[in-house]
Amino acid sequence: MDVTRVSPGVVKVTGARMSVLDRLIIPQVVAGMLVTIRHLVKNLFNLEKLPTISYPEVKRVYSERFRGRHILTAREDGTTRCVACYMCSTACPAECITIEAGEDERTREKFPVRYDIDLLRCVFCGYCVDACPEDAIYMTRDYEMAIDTRARSVVGLRDLVVPPNFPVAPMGWRPYYGAMEKKGTAGGTGLGQPLRSAPFEDDAPPNPDLFRGNE
Amino acid sequence: MSTLTKYSAVPYTGPAPTNREPYVPTDAAAIDARGAELAAALSVEQETGQDLPTLLVPRENIVAVLTALKSAGYTMPLDLFAVDYPRREQRFDVVYQLYSLAKNERVRLKVRVGEDEPLPTGTGVFKGLNWYEREIFDMFGIVVDGHPNLRRILCHEAFQGHALRKDYDPAQRWLLTEKDVAKIIPKIDPRFENVDTDFERVTLNLGPSHPATHGTLRIVVTLDGETIIGCDQEIGYLHRCFEKSCETHTYQQAIPFTDRLNYCSAFINNVGYCMAVEKLLGIEVPKRAQHIRLILSEFMRIADHLVCIGTNLVDMGALTNFWYLFQPREEIYGLIEACCGARLLPSYCRIGGLAVDAPPDFLEKSQRLVDWLPKFINDVEKLVDKNQIFLDRVVGIAPITPELAIEYGFTGPCLRACGVPYDVRKASPYLGYETYDFDVPIADGGDTFARYLVRMEEMRQSLKILQQAIDRGMPEGAVIVDNPYVALPPKSKVYNEMESLIYHFKLIMHGIQPPVGEAYFQVEGGNGELGFYVVSDGTKNPYRVRCRPPCFQIYSAFPDMIIGQTIPDAIAALGSLNIIAGELDH
Repeated sequence: MDVTRVSPGVVKVTGARMSVLDRLIIPQVVAGMLVTIRHLVKNLFNLEKLPTISYPEVKRVYSERFRGRHILTAREDGTTRCVACYMCSTACPAECITIEAGEDERTREKFPVRYDIDLLRCVFCGYCVDACPEDAIYMTRDYEMAIDTRARSVVGLRDLVVPPNFPVAPMGWRPYYGAMEKKGTAGGTGLGQPLRSAPFEDDAPPNPDLFRGNE
Repeated sequence: MSTLTKYSAVPYTGPAPTNREPYVPTDAAAIDARGAELAAALSVEQETGQDLPTLLVPRENIVAVLTALKSAGYTMPLDLFAVDYPRREQRFDVVYQLYSLAKNERVRLKVRVGEDEPLPTGTGVFKGLNWYEREIFDMFGIVVDGHPNLRRILCHEAFQGHALRKDYDPAQRWLLTEKDVAKIIPKIDPRFENVDTDFERVTLNLGPSHPATHGTLRIVVTLDGETIIGCDQEIGYLHRCFEKSCETHTYQQAIPFTDRLNYCSAFINNVGYCMAVEKLLGIEVPKRAQHIRLILSEFMRIADHLVCIGTNLVDMGALTNFWYLFQPREEIYGLIEACCGARLLPSYCRIGGLAVDAPPDFLEKSQRLVDWLPKFINDVEKLVDKNQIFLDRVVGIAPITPELAIEYGFTGPCLRACGVPYDVRKASPYLGYETYDFDVPIADGGDTFARYLVRMEEMRQSLKILQQAIDRGMPEGAVIVDNPYVALPPKSKVYNEMESLIYHFKLIMHGIQPPVGEAYFQVEGGNGELGFYVVSDGTKNPYRVRCRPPCFQIYSAFPDMIIGQTIPDAIAALGSLNIIAGELDH
């Protein structure tokens, strides 16, 4: 295409000038084929760097900010951090969080008797994480949430609460403290070679910045 | 936010919320003076204190006023919608927004209409008002007198009630089936009515689920042999009540909904909506947030054009280009994900700034991407630009004249393909676009080929903007305003200061409460001018949010473009218009 300036800030784009040879179709088809063949040869000798991923054998690694399935973090003693303050369910634009509060008779502290997230309603915006004043709800990089019935889309405390010192590696969107920023986020752009690796390292040490109890 | 990790006990001393005080636009005096001038010229009343020159027009005079304004240069009908005030005697405000290309000026007309009062149609003056009038009929039940085809547009034919009226209960559920709908038989174009050919006339249904429609659109065409002689469209299959949902949620909660309008360039929708609310609040976003917003918007624009051109070429059988264009798109989404946390629907903007700071390697990654992208665009250019087979499919196909395009309210690449250099980034710059050196590409003919050319050049111009933005480096500072009535305080403060904890709870429970008033803000979306009109009554929920989706008007002109052409040409034209159903059905 040809670009000519018509006035300051405006350019006019016109189709490429066609020579007699171009009008014969075949030379341009050959020129196009050369582009395709160049890509083919380049990919053929560089198979391990193909831009496609052989999912599910190989998985894509998302960044530390990825908004995947939620978890509820736990204190050192194993109880959930959540104090059933309803902030997450208030902030939720999809109204997918249902909480029922109870009171611990010994400590007189509120805790959730029921905490359900309807993953089919959830829009994965991360507002619950931003709203939580207790660092109780985080999002992970887990994006595999296929289910076969609607009833199974509702996940409760049993599915959400993770043990204390849960590994940091699979964590996604969570409140930002600056400690993580130094490292930069993973994921993003390897230019045609997406980060595919390697299942998450399950025995990675927990990041002390994530848990206030460790301060 | 990284600068605020340390404990600081300095309480917030900035401006308090301006709840329930009227909204005052920044240059109110100049706007009101211009409004008074226009009002005097047209001998109508004026409404002061608006962000655009606003005229109050009596219902009977609206066609005369529209005609007068059209001859005065306001040739482009940008928007038409209604706002419901049920306690008022004449409960509806019907709002027209017109734009003058020559003067680069907007004007707003307001018509008060009661429940049983018909509104005279403006389709005789502006063809682009056709679908908008159907929309206000559908959503508010305002009967438009003299409209050529007054039936529901977004809702199902058998739907009861009018969804955007304030007294409509959004919790109602309807079960609507195909049986309740009258069959669509397109009107035959007068040019072909009495033409006698040897062929039988056939009515053909395309969509709503068809690989060539790129979304759930339905087109019914009448064919004479292979020639299209009549066309009618049905939309609304992806209708998800964006405008009604906003009314029942807080300002902040509406941001994820805006993602789902034009899902090919979702971040631009975020920016447009947030800037409309920020205009109402009278706040300016920190420089760093503006810079990140600009970079991501331009990347999103490139991604939008890549999808459009890639799928358009697939419609014509050129699958290779699709792979070459989707590879850079994939990488753009990789960058978006590393910054925003999600690929397609980032929900990264917040009112007053951004959710979190961009990652430290953001500019570095952007630079790598900007260097890497052009080779794919060049490859596609090599494949198709001089390819006679491609040219035969696109040159002169589905043309539209500049006059007709303006009358329909075209914006964006489709308008520029007609040779009209209108770009919101130049006409009313935002996010500092005025400081960047870039050109608005135009082309001649307004056909499918011109639209392809404009989009290709626009991607290069976006890359030019991105290179300049990266060279300037990231401004220092926070990415969200330091105003606890608008933005959540950083977590480090929430855990350490009582005030911040209270602000945090208050903001989530009570939301942002902008001053009473209305504001319109427009950005250049992937398809054209994307506008958001926000009406606030001072409470935490918007009273009304209006989205001006660019492809709504572009698609309404589709029959005019394809009558007399063939089905394969119509498919190629549809792809080049880049109709995104999510935005179309807002």
